[in-house]
Amino acid sequence: MSWETVIGLETHVQLSTKTKLFSRASTAFGASPNTNVNLIDCGLPGVLPSVNKEAFYKAIRFGMAVGAQINQTSIFDRKNYFYADLPKGYQITQMDLPIVIGGSIEIIIDELTKTINITRAHLEEDAGKSIHDEFEGFSAIDLNRAGTPLLEIVSEPEISNAKEAVAYMKAMHQLVTFLDVSDGNMAQGSLRCDANVSIRKKGDKELGTRTEIKNINSFKFIEKAINFEIKRQIKILENGEKVVQETRLYDSSKDETRPMRSKEFANDYRYFPEPDLLPVIISDEEIQKIRDEFPELPKEKEIRYQQEYGLTAMMRKSLHPLSPWLISLKLLYKKRKITPFYQIG
Amino acid sequence: MSIQFKSIADLREMLDDKSISASELIQESLELAKKYKELNCFVTMNEEFSVKKANAIDVNKKTSSRLSGIPLAQKDLFCTEGLRTTCSSKILSNFIPPYTATAVKKLEDAGSITIGKTNMDEFAMGSSNETSFFGNVHNPWKKGYVPGGSSGGSAAAVAAGIVPAATGTDTGGSIRQPAAHCGITGLKPTYGRISRWGMIAFASSLDQAGPLARTAEDCAILLNTMSGHDAKDTTSLNSNVPDFLENINQPIDGLKIGLIKEFNLSDLDSQVQARFEESKKAYEKLGAQFIEVSLPNISASVPTYYSIAPAECSSNLSRFDGVRFGHRAESTDDLNDLYIKSRSEGFGDEVKRRILIGTYALSAGYYDAYYKKAQQVRRLIKNDFDNAFQSVDALMTPTSPNTAFKFGSKGTQNPVELYLEDLFTISSNLAGLPAISIPHGQVNSLPVGLQLIGNFLREDQLLNAAHIFQKNSDYHLAKPNLGDF
Amino acid sequence: MDQETVRTICYLARLEIDENKSEKIQKDLETIIDLIGSLQTIDTSDVEPLYSPLEMTALMHEDIEKSDNKKEKFLENAAASNEDYFLVPRVVE
Repeated sequence: MSWETVIGLETHVQLSTKTKLFSRASTAFGASPNTNVNLIDCGLPGVLPSVNKEAFYKAIRFGMAVGAQINQTSIFDRKNYFYADLPKGYQITQMDLPIVIGGSIEIIIDELTKTINITRAHLEEDAGKSIHDEFEGFSAIDLNRAGTPLLEIVSEPEISNAKEAVAYMKAMHQLVTFLDVSDGNMAQGSLRCDANVSIRKKGDKELGTRTEIKNINSFKFIEKAINFEIKRQIKILENGEKVVQETRLYDSSKDETRPMRSKEFANDYRYFPEPDLLPVIISDEEIQKIRDEFPELPKEKEIRYQQEYGLTAMMRKSLHPLSPWLISLKLLYKKRKITPFYQIG
Repeated sequence: MSIQFKSIADLREMLDDKSISASELIQESLELAKKYKELNCFVTMNEEFSVKKANAIDVNKKTSSRLSGIPLAQKDLFCTEGLRTTCSSKILSNFIPPYTATAVKKLEDAGSITIGKTNMDEFAMGSSNETSFFGNVHNPWKKGYVPGGSSGGSAAAVAAGIVPAATGTDTGGSIRQPAAHCGITGLKPTYGRISRWGMIAFASSLDQAGPLARTAEDCAILLNTMSGHDAKDTTSLNSNVPDFLENINQPIDGLKIGLIKEFNLSDLDSQVQARFEESKKAYEKLGAQFIEVSLPNISASVPTYYSIAPAECSSNLSRFDGVRFGHRAESTDDLNDLYIKSRSEGFGDEVKRRILIGTYALSAGYYDAYYKKAQQVRRLIKNDFDNAFQSVDALMTPTSPNTAFKFGSKGTQNPVELYLEDLFTISSNLAGLPAISIPHGQVNSLPVGLQLIGNFLREDQLLNAAHIFQKNSDYHLAKPNLGDF
Repeated sequence: MDQETVRTICYLARLEIDENKSEKIQKDLETIIDLIGSLQTIDTSDVEPLYSPLEMTALMHEDIEKSDNKKEKFLENAAASNEDYFLVPRVVE
């Protein structure tokens, strides 16, 4: 039997703002535990959120770059669930009216271009961190990361294999760093993804049952986790069994995915509009301002550099097959002895 | 001369003409609180700090502010730095906030002195103060009777003359109803007039802080100080705050007051109804005109409220999980067990009921039918008000369908019975409108309140109409006989 | 509202109800749901929900750091903490 893989990625991009999405505490990485935490991030009784304007601007900049529609009126919603590193018992996110709708990203696989459509991208706050193995019998909670702005970018299920998934993530990485939307530091978790993987018979129209692999934070692991999961699911199907819809974790030490231990028998997030925040309305003037400050788009740049500097597709491929414009830029910087590449153009 | 039952305006005069010092005033106020301990108005006293602050005021002799040296009580859901804040709940019984609510901070910065934190219905959920973890508050007018709720401790402390004024919060009538039951004046301002920063949230889109005092004039003094935009609360209004005190003495000749057709007052206790008719006449005599107006959806206020408020509360109260603050159950198996036990031990029955209702109203499959539906009806109710205010300046209703009742006599068999107490007060929260309750006599020796609802940001009109009424009557001067306490 | 629904809601809200009170609470919830259910008779087709009495735009904060970290006080309020962290029973993922 011949099988077909369908993958959709949810990419979490940590926005490179100085302060958090709903508070003015620092987002700096590596601070000592629970110091980048103010009253709001601690979820104390009586505190209220306020929206970080720059996070909105960065999200809009991303939306413009992928040719998306920008929702000039967008609202925040509460996603209700209990977890130790979620201080309020709900996450503030965007459900019905996300800031970015649609758009697409191009990836290059074996010199062929493929377009991956984007469903939506919304702003949300990150949770804190639980440390499970440092203290006997306890998990320790560090809220430094709580409230850090994330842009969650949801792709259409149009990715066909692990290689494409990696290409998509690399393209995403280059785009968000180029746009100065994120520092793109994967080791620090600035870019991570959840992969929704399902298998169906070749030619089938309906999607198979999917599993979600959570929180993958390196290109290498994306490839390995997805390949493992594809093999696992095909094996199940070939045995005539059914794939269980569940959330799984990738364990890099064993190179396998395994189901997350969860006692939740009902996963009902009870989304509703966040009553502590009024709708955010971005004016036409603001949109224009963001457009005016826009760095030159990668694709346009590529064309120009190809014309101006004669970089060939071959040269690019030999250096870095997936980032034509990045390579062009690097060569250019070298030539001009300029370092911060976002400011050029 | 005793300070008991004195208004802020009275006390200001006494302080200014040196017939009393700030320290003596605070000392007396603290002693009154002790003397009437049995009323159970206070959850936590702030004695040491109060005395210190009063002494400092006497030394500095700076009395530029009207509130300098004036003792106040704060409802125990305003966070006060270093001073225990419980929301009258077991779950917060040991919570010491590291910050102060904006409304309280403004009052304290103006020189007023917080002598203590007042008892309330747990997390402001109740209309009788009977859901408090710290026990019932007695109505100063009659032992064994409720003071109303949820700001029952604040209302009782003012009615007993311990403090001239106190803060409260009003989500569905929690300032106005206890003010009515205790024979004092209480104002719920426009939603957004006063910052909610540091006010422990019950229902975010309905909650609003406000003053309880002996007179409309004193309410104006407090409102002047408490109002204004706060960057920490992005739902606080960025509009001009008029001087409410200055505007309080305008003639009300030609003031158009609406009577709501859908509220059939003949269903009420005949004496409560008689009080209402008499006040209507009093207003007519002062030059007001009465016009009947129709608010076709207003009778849906109670069900609308009991969908929205619990939904918001179910989410707002999730942060009380035993992890970062508040009660944590002992010996728990795992994290989930910790949540379940801490919350189940920490919350009382009414709070649990409302969390469960709200969780249900927001859950998959019910959201549209309950929560969204209620928010749609809420718009219809607001539209009704908008229409009414095309032809009138204010609306007048009784504050509560009844006078104060005996402990345990309502809502124990059927919680909805108690919810109907809020019939007249709830709609202004849904629409975000200001409303005031003023005392207008008694029925069977218990006070009765009269409510005026104003248009958006028109607290000035309400305070003026209330002040003119009080200038021409003495209902607000009636004092309870505290002999039983 | 059946017992199973009550159990699910209780779990979502992380609450448990005393055995001897569960019947009463279930009855109370039903009464309240009936009250809210009375809204169904009102025609709300084409009515936009009103989520806040204020129909205006959120004011946003500038991306300028302002720290009011009170780590010690935050940790002091927790039932279990050490010098750096809030502590909870160990979670296995």
